[in-house]
Amino acid sequence: MTAAEAPRAIAARPARPVLRRPRRMVLGGVCAGVAHHLERPVAVVRVVTVVLALLGGAGVLLYLWLWALVPLDEEEAPRVRRAFPGAAILVSLAGVAALVALASAHGGAPGGDRLIPPVVDSAGLAILALAWTLVLDRADPRHDERYRRVIGAVAGGLLVTEGLLLLPFPHSTVSTVLGVVVAAVGIVILIVPRIVGFWTDLMAERTARDRESQRAEIAAHLHDSVLQTLAIIQHRAGPQSEVARLARAQERELRDWLFAGTDPFAGDVATELRTTAGELELAHPVRVEVVAVGDAAEVHSAALIGAAREAMLNAARHAGGDVAVYLEVGEEAVEVFVRDRGAGFDVDALPEGRIGVRESIVGRMERAGGQATVRSDARGTEVRLRLPLEAARA
Amino acid sequence: MRVLLVDDHSIFRSGLRAELGGAVEVVGEAATADEAVRMAHELRPDVVLLDVHLPGSEGGGAEVLRRCADLLGEVRFLALSVSDAAEDVVGVIRAGARGYITKTSSGAEVTRALTSVADGDAVFSPRLAGFVLDAFGAAQGEQAVADDELDRLSAREREVMRLIARGYAYKEVAAELYISIKTVETHVSAVLRKLQLSSRHELTAWALERKLL
Repeated sequence: MTAAEAPRAIAARPARPVLRRPRRMVLGGVCAGVAHHLERPVAVVRVVTVVLALLGGAGVLLYLWLWALVPLDEEEAPRVRRAFPGAAILVSLAGVAALVALASAHGGAPGGDRLIPPVVDSAGLAILALAWTLVLDRADPRHDERYRRVIGAVAGGLLVTEGLLLLPFPHSTVSTVLGVVVAAVGIVILIVPRIVGFWTDLMAERTARDRESQRAEIAAHLHDSVLQTLAIIQHRAGPQSEVARLARAQERELRDWLFAGTDPFAGDVATELRTTAGELELAHPVRVEVVAVGDAAEVHSAALIGAAREAMLNAARHAGGDVAVYLEVGEEAVEVFVRDRGAGFDVDALPEGRIGVRESIVGRMERAGGQATVRSDARGTEVRLRLPLEAARA
Repeated sequence: MRVLLVDDHSIFRSGLRAELGGAVEVVGEAATADEAVRMAHELRPDVVLLDVHLPGSEGGGAEVLRRCADLLGEVRFLALSVSDAAEDVVGVIRAGARGYITKTSSGAEVTRALTSVADGDAVFSPRLAGFVLDAFGAAQGEQAVADDELDRLSAREREVMRLIARGYAYKEVAAELYISIKTVETHVSAVLRKLQLSSRHELTAWALERKLL
């Protein structure tokens, strides 16, 4: 390749994937990230890293350097999943170091200096294991709360046991001091996760409270300003005008958000009827008020919702004006009343073609095991739907 | 009928004033809680139409009602609000209002409600009736055994409340139940009294939350 060709060659090649560490990783995600970036198999990168690591530790340094500097992939699920059980391995190594320390103490040669390296190693490894669970495994779904608690308990328990077992060997003051210090470190390790957990809970609770009070403040402000304005608009524009309908629809949405919270349990009868009411108000010159009484959360009957919707639609289309919808979930039955103030019609004289009332309301309710009656006179029409509770919950 | 309008939005007051029927004489308008208390004491109107949410005061309309407690015998209060959230309704009713209507009601509806309140009757919207049925456990079949029981509704009161919740006017309720309008009004007033005096948990919880008791 000549110097003149080089830029063109680079330009012609598709850009390499960006160097990012994946969130599903073994240890730090470095090898997988580098392999993806260089478009080489992961195994090759791993072997190279290990070989470099054996050559005086260069691989280890390179690995740590990349771990620290390469950002995590942002497009995946937010949590890091680490396959490498680092904390468990560190605890095991701490256990081995503790056994070595106890064995050399038991060996009985006077002078406790030999004890220092294995004891310090075991304490250091146990602390590292705890740090691993608190920092690297903190939000990792692969290493859950119980795993972390076990690691902390084992690491702390190990050091306390080691310290207590070292005390009865009166070789020198060294072993006594070591025993006391190691036991103390063990106790700290046992306590630290609790303090950290307590602190995290406290912070989370404070944040939640702040957010809640902020939300309440916004709600109060909206209530005093926007809702008032929407009410004035409806009042001044006349109840049937287009402007008033839009304002009312907005009012309904805002109020649902303010008072019902952000998490309405969808699908139950009351929510469905309110949604329908909102839709009808947008499409027809009508004001639909839905009043729900009793616990409607478990009532999901499609037939009842369908029939009630049909009745509300009829009222909006043929009567207009004010429509009252009353839903009552009683002890034995669910009842829905849809009342309008239209001119009314002769129920018995309905032509066969008026499939709405006959089929969509009465037929539907009867097939579901309930009943529907329609009463209509010059002062308006009321559709009454009744469905036994067993049928409504089925 | 002499009426005092209390609402912090002047546009709303003037709009409502223009729409109210000839039987209503607006003797004053107040925009704040302090103004409302002062004018109610000075003017002694028949009815105070009171916005539930007044800026600059802790308890809004309920606070005005508390500070006008000495007037409750002769001046009647009708609450007016944009919201029909249960705690707002309960707060003003328990503080002494004779009824409750929403701001989107038409001028004719407001006039009708003012007349009822001036006559000593209670004004129940369908939503308030629904709330009463819920709060007194009527849908679950709870029923008062004795007449003077405050924490539950009698069978007749429940019937009346259900019809109001279904959008029936008092006149239609009377026709439906084959009783006189006067009897309907008596039942509604009894329910209002229970709503004000009952110590049922559902009622007091809301009131306590809003520091109304």
